Amino acid sequence: MGRVIRQILTASAVIAGLFFTWELGVTLTGIPEYILPAPSAFLERFWETLPLQIEHLRITATTTLAGLALALVVGVFLALAVVYVKALKVLVLPALAAFNGIPKVAIAPLFVIWFGLGDEPKVLLAFLMGLFPVFVNAVSGLGDVEPDVLDLAKLAGGNEWRIFHKVRLMNALPHLTDAVKVAFPLALVGSVVAEFIGGNRGVGYLILSGQASLDTSLVFACLFAITLFTSAGIGAVVIVEEFALKWRASRRR
Amino acid sequence: MTDTRVPMALTVERLTKVFPTGTAIDQLSFEAPEHKFVTLVGPSGCGKSTAMRIITGLLPPTSGVIRIGGRMVDGPIADAALVFQSPVLLPWRRTVDNILFTAEMRGSDPAQYQERALNLVRLAGLNGFERSYPHELSGGMQQRVAICRALLLDPALLLMDEPFGALDILTRERMGFELQRIWMTTRNTVLFVTHSITEAVLLSDYIVVMTGRPGRKKATINVDLPRPRSTKTLEDPRFLDLAGRVRDHLEAQWVE
Ligand SMILES: Nc1ncnc2c1ncn2[C@@H]1O[C@H](COP(=O)(O)OP(=O)(O)O)[C@@H](O)[C@H]1O
Ligand SMILES: [Mg+2]
Repeated sequence: MGRVIRQILTASAVIAGLFFTWELGVTLTGIPEYILPAPSAFLERFWETLPLQIEHLRITATTTLAGLALALVVGVFLALAVVYVKALKVLVLPALAAFNGIPKVAIAPLFVIWFGLGDEPKVLLAFLMGLFPVFVNAVSGLGDVEPDVLDLAKLAGGNEWRIFHKVRLMNALPHLTDAVKVAFPLALVGSVVAEFIGGNRGVGYLILSGQASLDTSLVFACLFAITLFTSAGIGAVVIVEEFALKWRASRRR
Repeated sequence: MTDTRVPMALTVERLTKVFPTGTAIDQLSFEAPEHKFVTLVGPSGCGKSTAMRIITGLLPPTSGVIRIGGRMVDGPIADAALVFQSPVLLPWRRTVDNILFTAEMRGSDPAQYQERALNLVRLAGLNGFERSYPHELSGGMQQRVAICRALLLDPALLLMDEPFGALDILTRERMGFELQRIWMTTRNTVLFVTHSITEAVLLSDYIVVMTGRPGRKKATINVDLPRPRSTKTLEDPRFLDLAGRVRDHLEAQWVE
């Protein structure tokens, strides 16, 4: 836990230093606010629009987390299929890899055509963005168990179910927390991009309206809000790891 | 060949294993009397690990018959336990929970084995490390946990495949004596594999010397040195004589 706090403090110090340099640079060069607002300017805008920020971030956060949860469930389920049914491995792996090659952001307009301007296309895009990293990590977490461990388990009389929940699942946990750290920001990209394309709610929409009125400070204020959200999400995962995956401490050191 | 008065924990009859790459084991026969310590010695690649896997039923033989406690082996048998060269502990389990792993895999209530696990911890000199994670233990201690795990269900046959092969030379020597001490308490029948002639003679009641690829039986040597054997034993002329005989059998192959 001490390590986590130290990391947070270090990160905060780095960001403070960065903002200070930025502030100084903008003041000295006299760049106009509509091109590049100084941190003081967009932080002030953030504060002014706080209720608005909270309202829209709540919507974006909901679709992001829903998409991420779906990605976790479906990704783990697909991984289970691949790990347990050898025949599926040759089918699912290439199919998913090929699918991952499609820039999902590019097909987002299709989702708006199919599902309208509501939450569905946002959740769907967030889900698709998060699916692949979850799947890949789950496959290695559930599948890459030392063969000697499996022999030992079988020899002691272990059946598939016991081996699954006492060996494979535990082995997969750190892979899954790693997966969430990657998939979470990706799912957020999915939600925000879908908001760009259609609808009148969410941080993506707020950014667009800032752009339309050349309110650059508002755009930056939104980016700041999103960054806070991502950091909080990743932070939550790290805290879970710190408590639930204590045994992994040595590997990270 | 069989002495019917001594019950056999393990009999291996004309065991042959052919891989697509060639014959690994050729007509290997030997036996391990109950409560005895039997060691397989042979050059690398002569099929010792393969023989161990076949004996546990994890790998089918090409031909031949294995019996453990009189019962024919035709699949993984819960009556045998394995210790590998690496400890293969589960990193998320503390010492006691790693030892209880075999009980859980068998489907028993681990609470029933808690006391036995703690006794084994004490026997193996791991007191104070009951709640340590594997990464907090030294290599020698990890291997002792693996031995305790293998002994938890009191197996009819304990198979150890070069269990000290990954340890440094000093730890290895100490682990040999530790194993002897543990074994003299539990007296499970052991089938041990090693490259070290010294280790083989110090630990065994019988040594089965194997030829290089394909593995065949070269000789069986009866080690009748009194126990417990100690560093003193290393200077005993009978020990030197036995070690010499094992070496002769191994070196004879170099000339062939
Ligand atoms: N699964 C396998 N497929 C093909 N060849 C194998 C396999 N396992 C072992 N072998 C071969 O069988 C021989 C014996 O191997 P092994 O039992 O590991 O020897 P040892 O343990 O005595 O060093 C080796 O030549 C090895 O290459
Ligand atoms: Mg081997």
